[in-house]
Amino acid sequence: MTDALARRSFRDRATPEAIESVHNQLDALWEDASFVPDMDRMTFTTAVIEAAANVVQHAVPESAAPVELGVDISIRQSSLEARVSAFGAARPEGGGMEPRMPGNDAESGRGLALIRALVTTVTFTRQDGTNVWILSRDSTPA
Amino acid sequence: MELSYEVKDSYAEIRAAGRLNMVSAPKLREFVADVVASGSSRIVVNLEDTAFMDSSGLGALIGCLKAARQAGGDLRIAAVQPQVKMVLELTSMDRVLTSYASAAEAFEND
Repeated sequence: MTDALARRSFRDRATPEAIESVHNQLDALWEDASFVPDMDRMTFTTAVIEAAANVVQHAVPESAAPVELGVDISIRQSSLEARVSAFGAARPEGGGMEPRMPGNDAESGRGLALIRALVTTVTFTRQDGTNVWILSRDSTPA
Repeated sequence: MELSYEVKDSYAEIRAAGRLNMVSAPKLREFVADVVASGSSRIVVNLEDTAFMDSSGLGALIGCLKAARQAGGDLRIAAVQPQVKMVLELTSMDRVLTSYASAAEAFEND
């Protein structure tokens, strides 16, 4: 695997405010990686925010300690990758993936289906008590 | 996200500036509910300055649409930017949330 050209890492309590911090980091990252086309920035940012919001909304603590959200982003020559982690969270029901879009009048439940539509691959793993979603999008510099 | 509104002749225009995400989505729901409760059920949400929307924000717009319709009105969106347009299209909600080029055009013909 080629070296990352730009990186950002975030880890903090999984609160709604953490989503704003992750978004600010993504905006700063694109300044370091100006070669990434606008379309790829837009789709990848949306997918990462959806995945992080999914952790904040749905992760259930495995113990008395609160869940922490981790987001690690690597920009490579031909791909954008994000590892979105829920530290200290119980294993999600259904393996963490519910890819179907709900009905037209539903007010929630579109996040994971949206992520699938935005990136090239999504994988879910559970490692050492941490739920990890790895999002990857192929990207060719403009 | 900054929310503001202005009552026009035949509708109320709500301007939402910033990111419409899980932090601001509940605020938008509350804001629109207050506008509807004050007697305006024909609502245009002007998204000209909404640079980003996620599925929480989309859910809030759908909730606000239902609230406006329950009050006998409707909710329409205007001046949608590229990221918001992408989310609407990928979720097929562009067929439910009618989008207009400008707030003034949203209720022009009814």
